[in-house]
Amino acid sequence: MTTKLFGQAVQRVEDDRLLRGQGQYTDDLMPGALHAAVLRSPHAHARILAIDVDAVLDVEGVVAVYTHEDLVGAMAEPLPLLIPHPTLTHGRTQYALARDEINYVGEAIAMVVAVDRYVAEDAVDRIRVDYDVLPPVVGIENARDGDLLVHDDVPGNRAARMEQQVGDAEAAIAAAPHRLSLDLQVERSACMPMEGRATLARWDTDSRRMQVWTSTQTSTGVRAAVASKLGLDLGQVDVITPDVGGGFGVKIVHPWPEELLVPMAARALGRPVKFIEDRREHFISSAHERGQLQHVDVGFDDDGRLLGLSVQFWHDNGAYTPYGLIVPIITSTQLLGPYKPDNYKVVFDSLYTNTVIVTPYRGAGRPQGVYAMERTMDAIAAYLGKDRTEVRAANFIQPDEFPYDHGLLFQDGRPLIYDSGDYPASLEKLKALVDWDDFERIRDEARAEGRKVGIGIACYVEGTGVGPYEGGHVHVETSGKVKVSTGLTSQGQGHQTAFAQIVADELGVPFEDVEVVTGDTRRSPYSVGTFASRAAVMSGSAIALAARKTREKVLRIAADALETTPEDLEIVNGVVQVKGAPGSRIELGTIAVLSNPLRYAFDEASKAATQFVVGDPSKPPVAEDDEPGLEGKDFYSPPRSTFANGMHAVVVETDPETAEITILRYAVVHDCGNLINPLIVEGQVHGGVAQGVGGALYERMAYNEHGQLENASFMDFLMPYVSEVPKRIEIDHLETPSPLNPLGLKGAGEAGVIPSAAVFASAIEDAEGFPITSMPISPSELFALRLHHEQKLQEGPHA
Amino acid sequence: MRISGEAVLEAPVEQVWNAVLDPAVLVRTIPGCEQLKVTGENQYDMVVTAGVAAIRGTYTGTCELRDLQPHESLVLKAAGAGAPGTISADVKVSFAATDEGATLLTYEAVAVVGGMIGGVGQRMLTSVSKRLAGEFFSSINRVLSGAEPQEVAVSGAADQPATPGSPAADAPAGSTFSAPQRSGGGGGAGLPGGDFVQGALVGGALVLAGVLAGALAARRRG
Repeated sequence: MTTKLFGQAVQRVEDDRLLRGQGQYTDDLMPGALHAAVLRSPHAHARILAIDVDAVLDVEGVVAVYTHEDLVGAMAEPLPLLIPHPTLTHGRTQYALARDEINYVGEAIAMVVAVDRYVAEDAVDRIRVDYDVLPPVVGIENARDGDLLVHDDVPGNRAARMEQQVGDAEAAIAAAPHRLSLDLQVERSACMPMEGRATLARWDTDSRRMQVWTSTQTSTGVRAAVASKLGLDLGQVDVITPDVGGGFGVKIVHPWPEELLVPMAARALGRPVKFIEDRREHFISSAHERGQLQHVDVGFDDDGRLLGLSVQFWHDNGAYTPYGLIVPIITSTQLLGPYKPDNYKVVFDSLYTNTVIVTPYRGAGRPQGVYAMERTMDAIAAYLGKDRTEVRAANFIQPDEFPYDHGLLFQDGRPLIYDSGDYPASLEKLKALVDWDDFERIRDEARAEGRKVGIGIACYVEGTGVGPYEGGHVHVETSGKVKVSTGLTSQGQGHQTAFAQIVADELGVPFEDVEVVTGDTRRSPYSVGTFASRAAVMSGSAIALAARKTREKVLRIAADALETTPEDLEIVNGVVQVKGAPGSRIELGTIAVLSNPLRYAFDEASKAATQFVVGDPSKPPVAEDDEPGLEGKDFYSPPRSTFANGMHAVVVETDPETAEITILRYAVVHDCGNLINPLIVEGQVHGGVAQGVGGALYERMAYNEHGQLENASFMDFLMPYVSEVPKRIEIDHLETPSPLNPLGLKGAGEAGVIPSAAVFASAIEDAEGFPITSMPISPSELFALRLHHEQKLQEGPHA
Repeated sequence: MRISGEAVLEAPVEQVWNAVLDPAVLVRTIPGCEQLKVTGENQYDMVVTAGVAAIRGTYTGTCELRDLQPHESLVLKAAGAGAPGTISADVKVSFAATDEGATLLTYEAVAVVGGMIGGVGQRMLTSVSKRLAGEFFSSINRVLSGAEPQEVAVSGAADQPATPGSPAADAPAGSTFSAPQRSGGGGGAGLPGGDFVQGALVGGALVLAGVLAGALAARRRG
């Protein structure tokens, strides 16, 4: 028997190529292409009075320069608002090149195309723009005050106000025996993939086709945007995603101005054009996330059980809302985590500021929601003097309550219904993994030595695998090799490995014979994209279904050839054989030959399928209900999202003098349903935890009051090195399969980063003994908090 | 960016006042100042080269001295831009005589630094400013003490020689004061056509911001 690969820690097939430097990223392609450079606004808020490009035109090597005046048709219109929502009453998007107003430092104003990037950048420096500089709106408080406006026609800077309610939270809180209120804050951060944005386009003047290679998470999205903006038929546009050096959300389709301008220029000039973003551009003209202010009112009983929960938060959406309200909707719904408050009300305002746009970053609103809820859980435990895990356990949805309907609408417009999970079991695993019950002793011993250590816990539930659909295509070649395609893209997740495992199992072929292609609209024109931890769930399921269809056809043809029935056949190691009589066999490649009746033979194998060799002369060579070729195609479209979950614990030590924060232990219990490949899942968790450490302890976007991002480089924007990431991340898995898809999968890609801010706040609070309400937290901030609380303590008796 | 500070110049207030209003002195003493063109009463177009390492560049822009209370105070408004970024500043400058017959200058500035220097150079601004401030004050002191010869080229409608120490109001509009040959330049290196520097820029404000930050730092050291 072929060993079952599903669930095995198979080494990633991608790594050999990538580690040897043989990856092919967008900038590696077409070295002779022209290069684009973009003039970006130096001001956060200004009106453009005049743009003078005269000095650019006589620069040797410059081929073209574009401003908004040069854009025609749909290109001159604002960029699409991709995800409209009824409550997004004041949605606004930017122009591909600014028309008359700019709303953040970094907004694109003009684009120069030249023989190389050096000339293009030098030419950009020669463009003169006269601005009428306007006062900018920076920070959520200023946006909320509404004294100054980002967009003149958006009162109060409010893009949307959304409210969801189940039960009567206010009445329940009022009637509760205990009540607490919390004011919380989460800072901005950004994804920072190693490879920035990158787009290359070639207009084939002979076949009148547009080919675009772009570093994206959604090739079909870019394809639709390019076709629509440039007035091309969808069938004329191919979008191909080569290797992508990290996505983390920022490469979801927006579409970027450059993703449209580069194809536009390539067509106009009849020459390939590429745009390769530099790091500073990434800081000021890609997307950020996370920034929120939150207010929580909660009522609970003596056991810490939630009776009513009312949350209001203010979400900084930056200068425009191309991605709608996805991030704050996720915050408002995923905040509930594994708990059931029964009476829940959430209201959020999505506010404009004169800063870079805010769109999903790994976790996508969940880290903020989990932070609000888990800070609340810790506050309740502190108030009641109870163990923090006890309060959480008192509020868990129980295993026999699934499917659990929260009575809310999720980000996909579908009901928020959890499909499966076992939260009490997860908590027990985590407590055992991190020696929770023994920690009081450890903390006391450390204190006796003058050290400060603390333990934190945070639980989350993550809606993964959102629709609408993905497809899979499986093709068996006459060599017996299997070519698989799915439309969503890869940014390092190991899709080529995980999907090949699925196909090898379903089809009974050697793993090495399966090759997977992703993100190429020529192979898979119908697809959605890679985000929301959906690739394994969506494409994994679709590919499994496609492989099953292929298998059906294999067995049907083989049964004919071996004069038996499909039920009596099995496929082992790429060979179809009669069960119990392995001598009666036929190679998969031969079946591929037989599946395609030929007129011409080009090699020895295909002679077996020519017209004088096969087929019943009384019947059509291809039956009415059949197709030539050995391939299967299918789509998977789920009724709603599937909900993964997990719990993290971290032990930190805070230096009594310097307030430096050191991680002593990090433990994760993770439930993403059935694991295709535990190695890959653990890799995702490791990466997520590393990114979460950055988000909790280091990363922030230092906008000053003028809307200038003061830390727009890796000199000043701190990211964790390997020395700041826990040396060992202890992981335990629980597998509660999803009933919603054929393989019982749930997503795993974002999990590691979701509870970070919450778990570190919990641990630092435990070490220090005072509440942590604003994240991320630096040693200086912690030091200042200590001074503040010492002062309060001294004043206490007199107050 | 808000900066305030003070510095002591070794000359009586009248002399310092005249020096600060004299384009021939300013062009010689503002670090990196290559050209001052008089466009009106106490109004100038400036070309300044300043910066450090990769964010060095040439700035062009405007500078205006207004709200003049002779020998007491003035407000300098400057704005400009260059390849490395943009800067605008409002600087209130006060003059006071010290007991030793010198002049105490007090500055209060609000500066907005944008573009690349705004995002990448913020943390370098203070150290660069300190260096520029040091250069500016020692140059002014040398001019005031007569140690510095006035090698200032003047061109313009009147084509008259510069008179060191005379107020700028005496220079007719259109006069251009050029500093003697110095190292630097650079923003447009490699590009044909040198007039692109008229882009936008206010090295003047950058320098002033630098002077102010430097003065503040100097005071803190004191």
